[in-house]
Amino acid sequence: MQKLIFALAFSLLVFASCKDNEVVSTNDFSKELDNSAAVILETYEILDASASQLIVVLTNLENTQTAANLTSAQQSWRDCRVHWEKSEGFLFGPVDQQGIDPAMDSWPVNDVDLENVLNSGLALTKNFMDTQDGTVKGFHTIEYLLFGADGQKKISDFSVREFEYLRACGESLRGETEKLAKSWRASDGNFIKNLTAAGTSASIYPSQKSALQELVNGMVTIADEVANGKINDPFSQKNVLYEESRFSANSKADFADNIRSIQNIYLASTNGTTRDGLATLVKSKNPSLDAKLISQIEKAISDIEGIPGTFTTAIFDQPAAVEKAQTSVRDLLEILQGELLPFVQNL
Amino acid sequence: MKIRVICVPSIQNHHAMKLNFSKISILAAAIFIFGCHKTEEPPVENPEYQAGGATTVFDFFSDAFEQPAANLSADEIARHLDGDVAFGSIFVTAPAQINSGLGPIFNQNSCESCHGKNGRSAFPENLAADPGGLLFRVSLPGSGTHGEPVALPGFGGQLQTKAVWGTAPEVKVDVVWQEEIRQFVDGKTASLRRPTFSFSNSYIPFPAGAMVSPRLAPPVFGLGLLENIPAKNLLAAADPNDADGDGISGKANQVWDVLKNEMAVGRFGWKAGQPNVLQQSAAAYLNDMGITNPIFKNEHSAGQPQNDTLADDPEIDLPTLELAAFYSQSLGVPAPRDLENVDVAAGKILFEKTGCAKCHTPKQQTEAAEFSFLENQTFYPYTDLLLHDMGENLADHRPEFLADGKEWRTPPLWGIGKGKLVNGHTDFLHDGRARNLSEAILWHGGEADAARSNFEKLSEKKRGQLIRFLEAL
Repeated sequence: MQKLIFALAFSLLVFASCKDNEVVSTNDFSKELDNSAAVILETYEILDASASQLIVVLTNLENTQTAANLTSAQQSWRDCRVHWEKSEGFLFGPVDQQGIDPAMDSWPVNDVDLENVLNSGLALTKNFMDTQDGTVKGFHTIEYLLFGADGQKKISDFSVREFEYLRACGESLRGETEKLAKSWRASDGNFIKNLTAAGTSASIYPSQKSALQELVNGMVTIADEVANGKINDPFSQKNVLYEESRFSANSKADFADNIRSIQNIYLASTNGTTRDGLATLVKSKNPSLDAKLISQIEKAISDIEGIPGTFTTAIFDQPAAVEKAQTSVRDLLEILQGELLPFVQNL
Repeated sequence: MKIRVICVPSIQNHHAMKLNFSKISILAAAIFIFGCHKTEEPPVENPEYQAGGATTVFDFFSDAFEQPAANLSADEIARHLDGDVAFGSIFVTAPAQINSGLGPIFNQNSCESCHGKNGRSAFPENLAADPGGLLFRVSLPGSGTHGEPVALPGFGGQLQTKAVWGTAPEVKVDVVWQEEIRQFVDGKTASLRRPTFSFSNSYIPFPAGAMVSPRLAPPVFGLGLLENIPAKNLLAAADPNDADGDGISGKANQVWDVLKNEMAVGRFGWKAGQPNVLQQSAAAYLNDMGITNPIFKNEHSAGQPQNDTLADDPEIDLPTLELAAFYSQSLGVPAPRDLENVDVAAGKILFEKTGCAKCHTPKQQTEAAEFSFLENQTFYPYTDLLLHDMGENLADHRPEFLADGKEWRTPPLWGIGKGKLVNGHTDFLHDGRARNLSEAILWHGGEADAARSNFEKLSEKKRGQLIRFLEAL
């Protein structure tokens, strides 16, 4: 009932503010916003669960230092990383405003400070790690320690302090994922209400359209970042130092999962469950745009994953494949920015 | 995390690598902007919707402060994107292959750490653990050759509350709040929080007689327009001796321009202590991040025991510094909203009637400018860029050039209503003590006594209308 009243009020508001030559909009986008918000919260919940699992595996590695446990820890890092990358299509709200992103994903790694901490006698605890800058903790520091600067690290290469550092880093990372999930939960920080109640005084968004634009802008931002930052920086300069996840050779997965974050928001999809979302809305009004977007998202993922070998080697020996993937993401960016964003603005 | 790289020694290659995107961006941006106008075009009869003149952008999502000016050329957009890279780069301890040179003492490791989404910092959640975007200027009584503050021996002009590993931060800062009740004329009350800062764990004894001034990081959009208001216009609006007897005696600061080796009108910083965006950026690189640069070539810690012994200065080159400055000069100014709303319109009238607009001058203009997109623009920043006595309650008792211990530069109000959306908070004033716009007004004193008093006399409804107007900006 509340939503019905809101929809009526919203329609009146739109009507009152329109000029004669404008099309009156009577749409209620509550369903699309509710479902998109659900995707975001579910992604954060899954991320938090995977970070909890990472602690278990890193603690196990600290306690039992075997090659098998190192492999398990490396895989657990990749498993957790997937969900973070799948969240980068919506880097707005608490993840940005509460300093969670830099605490989890700062880049580059401050290896000078990291070595100095490892060589010190300080107790390596979660509390200690929580007070450190993001460049000595988070995903990339864990990656650096687990895989090594050359990606070839063996269990025999580790110092005792590195195992302790990894476990503390994992605990601190999980603290951030927990904070992030809580900040969105309706029962806690309730940031989710800003989307589900968009257009009311309970939300920071003055209209549902404004909230939809936030979602699309998030998609635009990550498509731009993948095409013109993550791929372009190392590729255009032929310099692996600019590759974000080079220690683990995980860059291709990073890029593809970033595009999946766009896919998940667009389709309102998580864990294979697709709901009515932006895609439903676009399909009802502009089916060719919907088909084009779905197709281009799939093409971008396919072209990224089709790059032979690792991204580190491909920037040198597979330039055509890298360029093809980059072009696909740029084409996706153009559709998102040039067609989807105006579509939402014109609702 | 966005990949941001400062190459050693320069990032010139980014020009080439961003060009392709620029072409895409321009096409898409043009579609986007015109699309925006189609649905959200402001009433042409109200020019204030063009808050930043032709640079104005009409977005209302959390990246509202991160859009390039709407009137940039293709080359300017490419340069703006390169500047974005410089602005977002995270620095690490030297020697490093990329983004090298952090510290050895510093406040934060990137521009964005303080100016998140190009907006205003919140008061830190846990000041003792991480001061976030709040820093503290320090000095001894007196002034230097050009009128600048006298550096505090062993600490310089700013307290660095972080350090690279193995180096001691200069000091630890904490705060205690005291709530004070203020009463409106209609009997309603508001509680204000007054901060008392404490300094402990200093790496050497903290000198007696040190003057300390807390400063919260402000938004960085629109700086190119403010930089290009003709000095003669600012000086014409100044009334240092209150010759017109209206109780407002704004004066222009006169500060040292390092590159030109001459005095200039101060425009940037909470006391207008910097004359232009380039020098403001260079000072921030050095003092906030410990990044030496072509304008400030020596580490902030030079002469102090924590200084490093590396021969790596300057740690960024002039093109990088200029790119970072250009980024803020070429950001779009976000448009206001709902100016035709009855309450907003009433609030604007009250804003003028209460006297707020006497210092928060609505309209400014540029004439000639280094960049054509900033030339001959009429815009609405709501500042006179002049220094005003704000009373004892807000005094920091630390002079800076011509600014005395009670004077602050009028901060612009454009975009002030979007803080919750962009940065998730509504902390205001130089030290973030105000938790909302009403509290910020109630802290006004000195030359703003009459305006604050007029606000206190308003009915609750009219106070709400005035706040509603500010929120629309």
